Amino acid sequence: MIASVRAELLRLGRWPTTWVLCGTWLVLNLTFGYVFNYLSYRSDDGGGGFANQVSDGAPASTLLAQLMPDRVPVTLVQGMPMFGGALVLILGALAVGSGYGWGTWKTVFTTGPRRVTAMGGTLGALGIMLVGLVVVSFILDLVAAFTVAAAESQPTTWPTLADSAQGLGAGLLICAMWMAGGVMLGTLTRGPALAVGLGLVWSLVVENLLRGVAGLLGPLETVTNVLPGTAAGSIAGAIGAVVQSDPNGTPGVTTVLGGTAAALLLGGYLLAFLAASLALTARRDVTT
Amino acid sequence: METAIEVRNLVVERGKRRVLHGLTCSIPRGSVTGLLGPSGSGKTTLMRAIVGVQIVKSGVVTVLGEPAGTPRLRHKIGYLTQSPSVYADLTVRENARYFASLYKGITPADADNAVEMVGLGDAANQLVATLSGGQRARASLACTLVSRPEVLILDEPTVGQDPVLRDELWHQFRAMAAAGTTLLVSSHVMDEASRCDRLLLIREGALIADDTPDLVRASAGTNDLDAAFLHLIRTMEKTGVAS
Ligand SMILES: Nc1ncnc2c1ncn2[C@@H]1O[C@H](COP(=O)(O)OP(=O)(O)O)[C@@H](O)[C@H]1O
Ligand SMILES: [Mg+2]
Repeated sequence: MIASVRAELLRLGRWPTTWVLCGTWLVLNLTFGYVFNYLSYRSDDGGGGFANQVSDGAPASTLLAQLMPDRVPVTLVQGMPMFGGALVLILGALAVGSGYGWGTWKTVFTTGPRRVTAMGGTLGALGIMLVGLVVVSFILDLVAAFTVAAAESQPTTWPTLADSAQGLGAGLLICAMWMAGGVMLGTLTRGPALAVGLGLVWSLVVENLLRGVAGLLGPLETVTNVLPGTAAGSIAGAIGAVVQSDPNGTPGVTTVLGGTAAALLLGGYLLAFLAASLALTARRDVTT
Repeated sequence: METAIEVRNLVVERGKRRVLHGLTCSIPRGSVTGLLGPSGSGKTTLMRAIVGVQIVKSGVVTVLGEPAGTPRLRHKIGYLTQSPSVYADLTVRENARYFASLYKGITPADADNAVEMVGLGDAANQLVATLSGGQRARASLACTLVSRPEVLILDEPTVGQDPVLRDELWHQFRAMAAAGTTLLVSSHVMDEASRCDRLLLIREGALIADDTPDLVRASAGTNDLDAAFLHLIRTMEKTGVAS
């Protein structure tokens, strides 16, 4: 198992795709978390223009408060229900799917370690990378927030330990759930392309469409309320990310579910996706 | 001579078709056995059964005294699939090291050795996606050799290789056999036959010969293996041995 984790870390670490996806997340996180809001704050001179379009009249003080270090745990998580989840879903789907695409699983499964061990290795490696990614984002967000605070001569308050733990935990849970979803799709479709396509269509299109329809069709709401995307958005909302219905809010973030319910639901999806991936890997035929 | 692989009355169906019709053969340890037959004759299917990834209808396949497919055999068997099994978006060396790190006691140096062995030393840092077809097949072979398995099942390893490389690869196979490795090497071209210690000639899922190259030639009354193949098939069709 440790050998498999090491092998998969080696492979994923040498893989340009990994770095492109992780880099994209870091850039988007900083851009939407700090750059746009800071530019908007700087140009908020009471007039119209860019500031009013972005902040829609949110008072400058609110805007600045969101950029302060003590808000980092929230900023870290607010992009995850949307693009963060989608990016790690792609990573999960590709990490597993490409092995089927290039025929390498076939060799690993026949002459390497046992199948569940091999799959466990991939999951372990992905998990380690995910923890790294979330921690690095947290640190980068702190750097950005302290920079803004220094530039604006604001007092620098560190986020509390409890807030930080909550933000990191929520971020990990959201990303782990989507990544496991990608892994399951990659295993199910035994290839990278269809898995990525299906995953993105689900997370970015279908869930939103369903939520739109549920607005008109009451009973459907009970279903849309427990979808993975709703759970991810709710946990972000629960720890304080600004909700979408607020014009200044982040898309994907909601308060449909309470924090605990959302966390339990996310954990449930995570375990279900992992179990399905392992079971499929263990049971299915190795094709030529 | 000690037997490494034993196949008895093996029947395999793929889809609705019977692909292997009660095949029986045994492969001696520390030798190179050629599995020769035209495309579609069942070479890959037989190899899959030996590796243990083929569902068999009936019959017994034993490798190193254990039933094919048992987990204990995993680290003792190397299987080169007919289509290359390497990550195209990694380099040759990275691929070999990836497979090396799956096995206990196999080092990055072993991976680099395997890359040298298949003649890809100069292309070690090249992305597999940028390799020619023949090079890619050799990259895949390097990954199979990396764990130094006792039994090597190689499905058409020399297809698409230039004559000089083919010659080098066969020298490697012979050297491995001399060191005690058991090799089963398939091919659909006859000119590889003389490189083998034993030949299994397969056609339409049935063996039509299981002998040394010399004895195959002698029983067919010709020095040319293509002609020998034709002769054996004709004789069988006349006597109705193969059904
Ligand atoms: N997945 C499959 N489903 C059904 N039939 C198959 C499958 N794979 C191979 N076959 C058939 O089995 C026969 C033997 O195939 P194979 O073992 O690949 O031959 P070879 O390797 O000698 O070219 C062929 O007739 C082929 O069409
Ligand atoms: Mg074949």
